[in-house]
Amino acid sequence: MRLIALFACLFLGLSAQGAVKKEGKKDAKKAEPVIKVVTPPAAPVAALGERAAIWHEWTDKEGQKLEARFCGLAGEYITLQSRDGRTFHFKLEMLSAEDADFAKNCVERNRTNSFSPAIIASAAADIDRLVGVVLTANKQSLNAPATDEQFLRRIYLDAAGRVPTAKEASAFLSSNAPDKRAKLIDELVFSPSYTMQMFNWMADLLRVKDTFAKGVPAFTFEDWLKARLAADTPWDKLVSEMITADGRLCDNGATGFMLFDAEMPLDGVSNLMTTFLGTNMACAQCHDHPLAEWKQRDFYQMAAFFGATDGKDEAIGSAIKKAVRADATVPKAAALKIEQMNTFRMEDTDKQKLTFPKDYKYKDAKAGDPVTPSLIAWSKGDKSLPIYNVNTKTPSQLRDEFARWLTSPQNPRFATNIANRIWKKAFGLGVIEPVNDIDDLTEASSPELMAHLTFVMKAAKFDLREVQRVIYNSKTYQASASATPDLGKAKYLFNGPLVRRLSAEQVWDSLIVTAVGTYADNVLLRRGDDLKAMALPAGKVTLAEVKNAVERTKKAFSGGGKAAGGKKAAGGSALGLANGYDGDKPISRFSMMLARASELPQPSSETHFLRLWGQGDRLLADSATNDGSVPQVLQMMNGSVGKLVADVRSAAVMDAMKAKTPDGEVTSLYLSYLSRKPTNKELIAASKSLKDGLALTDLAWVLANTREFLFVQ
Amino acid sequence: MSILPSAHLLRNPEDRRSFIEKCAKVSFGLSVLPFFTRIAEAAEAPGAVTAPNAGLPGFGKAKRVIFLQLNGGMSHIDTFDPKTGASKGPGSIVSAKGDMQLTSYLPQTAKISDKITVIRSMTAKVGVHASAAYLMRTGFEQRGTLQHPTIGAWAQHFLGASHKTLPSSVTVNRSSNHGNGWFPAAYSPLPILNPADGLLDTKSPVGEATVAKRTGLLAELDSSFGGKATDESVKSYNEFYESTFQLMKSTDLKAFDLAAESAETKARYGKSKFGQGCLLARRLVENGVRFVEVAIGGWDMHAGLDDRLTDVGGDFDRVYATLIQDLESKGLLDTTLVVVASEFGRKPSFEGGGRGHHPLVFSTVLAGGGVKRGFVFGASDEKGYAPKENGVSPGSLHATIAHAAGLPVQTDIITPAGRPMQVGNKAAPQTGVFA
Repeated sequence: MRLIALFACLFLGLSAQGAVKKEGKKDAKKAEPVIKVVTPPAAPVAALGERAAIWHEWTDKEGQKLEARFCGLAGEYITLQSRDGRTFHFKLEMLSAEDADFAKNCVERNRTNSFSPAIIASAAADIDRLVGVVLTANKQSLNAPATDEQFLRRIYLDAAGRVPTAKEASAFLSSNAPDKRAKLIDELVFSPSYTMQMFNWMADLLRVKDTFAKGVPAFTFEDWLKARLAADTPWDKLVSEMITADGRLCDNGATGFMLFDAEMPLDGVSNLMTTFLGTNMACAQCHDHPLAEWKQRDFYQMAAFFGATDGKDEAIGSAIKKAVRADATVPKAAALKIEQMNTFRMEDTDKQKLTFPKDYKYKDAKAGDPVTPSLIAWSKGDKSLPIYNVNTKTPSQLRDEFARWLTSPQNPRFATNIANRIWKKAFGLGVIEPVNDIDDLTEASSPELMAHLTFVMKAAKFDLREVQRVIYNSKTYQASASATPDLGKAKYLFNGPLVRRLSAEQVWDSLIVTAVGTYADNVLLRRGDDLKAMALPAGKVTLAEVKNAVERTKKAFSGGGKAAGGKKAAGGSALGLANGYDGDKPISRFSMMLARASELPQPSSETHFLRLWGQGDRLLADSATNDGSVPQVLQMMNGSVGKLVADVRSAAVMDAMKAKTPDGEVTSLYLSYLSRKPTNKELIAASKSLKDGLALTDLAWVLANTREFLFVQ
Repeated sequence: MSILPSAHLLRNPEDRRSFIEKCAKVSFGLSVLPFFTRIAEAAEAPGAVTAPNAGLPGFGKAKRVIFLQLNGGMSHIDTFDPKTGASKGPGSIVSAKGDMQLTSYLPQTAKISDKITVIRSMTAKVGVHASAAYLMRTGFEQRGTLQHPTIGAWAQHFLGASHKTLPSSVTVNRSSNHGNGWFPAAYSPLPILNPADGLLDTKSPVGEATVAKRTGLLAELDSSFGGKATDESVKSYNEFYESTFQLMKSTDLKAFDLAAESAETKARYGKSKFGQGCLLARRLVENGVRFVEVAIGGWDMHAGLDDRLTDVGGDFDRVYATLIQDLESKGLLDTTLVVVASEFGRKPSFEGGGRGHHPLVFSTVLAGGGVKRGFVFGASDEKGYAPKENGVSPGSLHATIAHAAGLPVQTDIITPAGRPMQVGNKAAPQTGVFA
């Protein structure tokens, strides 16, 4: 007993020491302090073993062969990925019987590399205990457990990014299995919808955009990210691959993240610090941070790790311009795209070029002097950690050294940042808020909970799926939701998740599934293939090669040629959305491509439903909002989405029509839109209106326009 | 003193309804509408509030405000505050009407500069795009736990709704981004993302009888969740639905329709998003919307400044001059304040074909709504690096706009979280800019 208390004190002492002291915080009235409690530390979580990808030569029923790794199997669909990163998503029945069995076997092999049910249960129980201690000390308690109906809707939205269909809903609600919640969690986090949902979440965080700078297309970055998510790439590897990516955007999509800021490298550094470390150094870009301890010099020393990196090959650019000028027949627009795709590339040079700015006004460095790269630290002990031992002598290695420090489990903030963001994704609020400024760990509503989540993140080897499995299995997550708290008055201590309006992507994807059913989960559009056709052979910028690239591109875009491996999306090019697809053929109605948000333009056009409902512009990290507005309501009631909902072809309406009784019809629509059965009162009101001249399509419209549809409880 | 407590008293729907009914009958001669939020706002109007700034020059002259935000950070040195010497940019210096100098990138503005006031001594500390845009838009530095309102929401709080069915605030070319701040969600500006489209989907695709049945059933089925909502964000959606029903019935919707403008007028404003946005802004303020923001990007000129000022800047120049002339010819300029705000200025040193971010000194332009004509307020130093005299903070700019709009400045209101707040963040208005 005593030993435990000692441990706890030690632990608390450490976390307090680990914080940056913020001087003179300007916010006049601070939230009331949370009563601190001494908490026994959480039980250790055994780390996951190393995972080996399962490579296999697959044979389909026609005898065609493909060497690829196994990514996942969900329902009737299998996902594979070849060595060049191409993802293949198709019906399992297309494989030979032997390989179909092999695929099923792979699922088992992959599961054994995941946290065992016992570990999940113990790590989740520790979350509940740590939350419980803080709640009790503050004379609060956990909300009542969520009902099966509430849990069902919440887990579908959080893990699959959409509401369940009527069929999926009744399957879960009617099951009597005692572990049906844990089973559903696993089913959803291993489904293709999980990848789509994670892509949406990451796209907002990583600023995934179809174009950057002056219209440079970055589809290859999107395709790369989707492929890496499908291949179960852990967060640390994903980040490292983006930071250290070399080569042209057309060849290596991973370069897209760094190239986004190629023309504003300083902004790029401040962005990546916020995204990956929850450190807000943006102020220090121009002057010493007024509130935190960051100095302008700190910022420049961090930025210097990218001072030898070059994002744009101006020489190739002018060579292409020059070559094209000699021939008036080369179409200008195509030539410009080819120029862009070949000039933007990541390369390390032998010289670190960053110097302190001309107007540098502090005594700790001289304006115009070259900057020596140096890593920031949050507390005194940090610099003695082995990962701080980086080689800053070789300029061409600087970026790699930075990535090694950044993504290490030893980094003082990397694991905490992503753990806090993942927690926010599930609960609507971070343990530390705002999530983009976590320098001071004592600001957490429970530092012990933050420490435990960080620990789970490291034990999971940064596998975000595993961490979410733990969170979803906690009683805290499975409690009923709280109303939006006023954080100005007091910190929120997690009596349960918060009531939230669905994100733009969740509203859209839910409407898509009610319109076309689970079909949309298997429509994978991709757009990067044709960009690869623009790559010029290395070192050869001749008029002939540029013309060849124009020809290749023309062929790819006109639909005359089949994009490598993929199928042409009929109607896709008409809407300008896609030039190829995997899985099922996309459907369009009312001039809308009925695909999941992850498959549509990133971000969608300014007037698209998604943007109107708060999809971010992706110019900055975390740009999505969930504000309401009159135009949203107009679109839901009268716009093309309103028409889509009240259309006779709607999957939800057709499901309802299959019911044998009027009550059955109403119940089916309730399950489709609200993931629950109607109450008696609702049943009577709805049935009456159906007799009174309204059709099932009208009832669908009504349910889609309820506030309940827009919110997750 | 604070006005919000009166709103709190009205939280109980019964009290609110009876109070509104009374007020509505007395002040408007109207019977109470089924969706009473907007009237409730009008009912909250202070009337009795004494603004400490009421006696100062310019108070209440601006009945409406058009707030143009140039995102990315307009270079003051290359536009409204030209410099010679080392700081000089690629443009030349031109003597404009109203005894001021501008750069050659603003030839049309130079012709109407006898109608504007240029503030050359704006000063701030924030040099990061999003945060600086926030500061210029609200007058407050960004905080993690609190969202500050725009002038449109402040005005709606103090003065009530500006129109019975049209929104009091509209944003053009940008989403509303919590423009209501801590005020009720119904004060949130209505966003128009594409001005050429106006307000879309205002007509139901089905017949009136079906609409009535659908909405009747909706009210019934939503009563258990939406009707009993304790959550603020759920309540706000109830209000948006109410406002939408009301707006759909309104004949004032034509305010959003650019097609009603003459071909000649449309041609003068041009086809750019900024041009269309400014034309829409003029139509909206003409029809009773009090506060319209128009955003336009493309001002982050780290490189290629000469090209981009010719291109993006040229469009701004033509459209801005057209807007001022148009308001003048319609007799609206004296009662409409037009603000040109950006995010920050740009550095005196011209490097790599452009300039870096520079918040220490920059320019903002005011026109109409009682401000002086052909006037330069404040000055930057010789290099354009720091303010030389009369430094104006973004908060003070907001206090100035609020003052022109007839709002009490330096007067506390209490936010729902119990914090005292003032429009313009306690800064005093710059009364020197008013005629």
